[in-house]
Amino acid sequence: MTPLHVAMALVSLCGVAAWQVSLIPESLMQMTVGPTLVPAVVVGGLALLALIYGISAWRGQQADESLAEDQSALPGANQRLLSLLAGGVAFMALIVPLGFVIPGTLCGVGVARSFDAPVNAKSVVICALIASTFWLLFARILGVGLGPALPMWF
Amino acid sequence: MSSFDALMGGFANALQPVTLMWGFVGCFIGTLVGVLPGIGPALTIALLLPLTYHVPATSMFVMFAGIYYGAAYGGSTTSILIKTPGEASSMMTALEGNKMARNGRAGQALATAAIGSFVAGTIGTLALTFFAPMVVDAALAFGPAEYFSLMMVSVVAVSAVLGNSMLRGLIALTVGALLGLVGIDLQTGQARFTFGQAALLDGIEVTVAAVGIFAVGEALYLAWQGRETKTGEVMKVSGSLWMSKSDWSRSWKPWLRGAFYGFPIGAMPAGGAELPTLLSYYTEKKLSPNPEEFGNGAIEGVAGPEAANNAAAAGVLMPLLTLGIPTSATAAIMLSAFEGYGIQTGPQLFSSQGSLVWTLIASLYIGNIILLVLNLPLVGLWVKLLKIPPPWLYAGIIVISTAGVYGAGNSVFNVGLLFAFGLMGYAMRRFDFPAAPLIVGLILAPMAEQSMRQALTISQGEWSTFFTRPLSGSLMAVAALLLIVPPLWKQWRSRTSR
Repeated sequence: MTPLHVAMALVSLCGVAAWQVSLIPESLMQMTVGPTLVPAVVVGGLALLALIYGISAWRGQQADESLAEDQSALPGANQRLLSLLAGGVAFMALIVPLGFVIPGTLCGVGVARSFDAPVNAKSVVICALIASTFWLLFARILGVGLGPALPMWF
Repeated sequence: MSSFDALMGGFANALQPVTLMWGFVGCFIGTLVGVLPGIGPALTIALLLPLTYHVPATSMFVMFAGIYYGAAYGGSTTSILIKTPGEASSMMTALEGNKMARNGRAGQALATAAIGSFVAGTIGTLALTFFAPMVVDAALAFGPAEYFSLMMVSVVAVSAVLGNSMLRGLIALTVGALLGLVGIDLQTGQARFTFGQAALLDGIEVTVAAVGIFAVGEALYLAWQGRETKTGEVMKVSGSLWMSKSDWSRSWKPWLRGAFYGFPIGAMPAGGAELPTLLSYYTEKKLSPNPEEFGNGAIEGVAGPEAANNAAAAGVLMPLLTLGIPTSATAAIMLSAFEGYGIQTGPQLFSSQGSLVWTLIASLYIGNIILLVLNLPLVGLWVKLLKIPPPWLYAGIIVISTAGVYGAGNSVFNVGLLFAFGLMGYAMRRFDFPAAPLIVGLILAPMAEQSMRQALTISQGEWSTFFTRPLSGSLMAVAALLLIVPPLWKQWRSRTSR
């Protein structure tokens, strides 16, 4: 990934946003500024800025921390990213059927793995403790609706 | 009622046992998040927003104020003991404080930082107490046109002046504005940028965006780097925490000077805490009879910047409470908490919610005392926290972030958005896009749009209203200057240095 890719992503975002602006129906109410003007101005402004950024990136003038000496990624960067995101996906997939603690534990294990902790019983126990503590604090003590701690059938 | 009487009423409320308890909890959590790397006050307040449905407004804002001040106190511990400034404003403390710790004077560095923070925090809060009503009086003359122009000053200042690149700041701001416009248009009821998803009709929750960018984005970036897998070296705090007579005499003037830099600059749109800490550091270096000590552990280099940092924290509350304008990410999230309670911010806040505002201000004085008491005696606990291995620290941060976002509405869709914002935060961090303009844009864009449309309705469609009304025109001129002057200045500097 380079700044040029970021510029392309921004231009694509502008394209999608412009399509969405074209779908906003004009209001039947009589008013000086309707619901489309500000979104259109914002999308136009972003498109212009994205183009300037793209030109600047093409000339090699935009920052990329991965090129800095003490900031560059060590080998295995993509696996670490995917491991963290997999934890998030596991949480989303399992929170409704399994309650909070099991998905929270899996999410924690994924995050810990992305910081080079091994996936073993110790990791699972620590993450289960973290998830259980937060469930107790948020759901039981503070009354935030996190759903049940464990599956209903359990 | 005078400011003094109102403040006394605020003290009467803030000293109620329950309110005091929330203030104490806030100060404790604030110091904790200030000490821990990877989690700051903006993220913590965003995570606690779901609680706004369960706790009375006064208690919640007293806690938020404690978190805000506490994080500024706690940041110095991390800077001094592991040379990891959580924010740019703690950089100077890390530079001198860590050198003091390496010379066996960690206790004195922590003490001058804590006492300086107390002195400057109190001076900043005093200034807030007596200047805020004056700003409110002036702001009562504001109409929608003036508000729109003021918001323009705020967004331009936050994006164009802060950060390393005006272009990247403006892109972050515009993306934030675009995200802020998602959902139903309040005036016409038309859906915008919703892709036909019912979950987007209410717009994008500030909590989801802020937590995604600050917590998940930071964790993704550090995981990608792979350098944060072991705990860093934590300096020992040995011997007395008490300062010698010489330390006191070398510290008190930097504390006062730091406070006088911090508050006014912090109160300006985009003033922030970085500039006053830098100014304070270089002033102390210039005034010191021993400038050669700077860089090797000069106590003035910790005392001044830490005082400036805390006074700036009080300054940032000024535009938030008097005008409803956030000038930092934390202030933006506090503004969204006001909205969560259905409280209208702006100059009318002092009249419509006078009790809440004055209790909040009184709790800042009390919070400063709590923090002074909490910081030094509990330094052993804070040192232990710094030794938590990163895998468990970040596992905890992400699980609590996910729990906070899920708990706000039991929405799996929002958890998905959280991780999407996390990826965005990772890219922003990697390609050096500042996060604050995005959050400020997300919150201010819909407000600015409403003010603009109201102003145009009042002026019967005359766009010139923004430029012909004296106050609004002046604010627009300031916004234009903020946009034009920095690049011209940069160009002039590069030409003259050749």
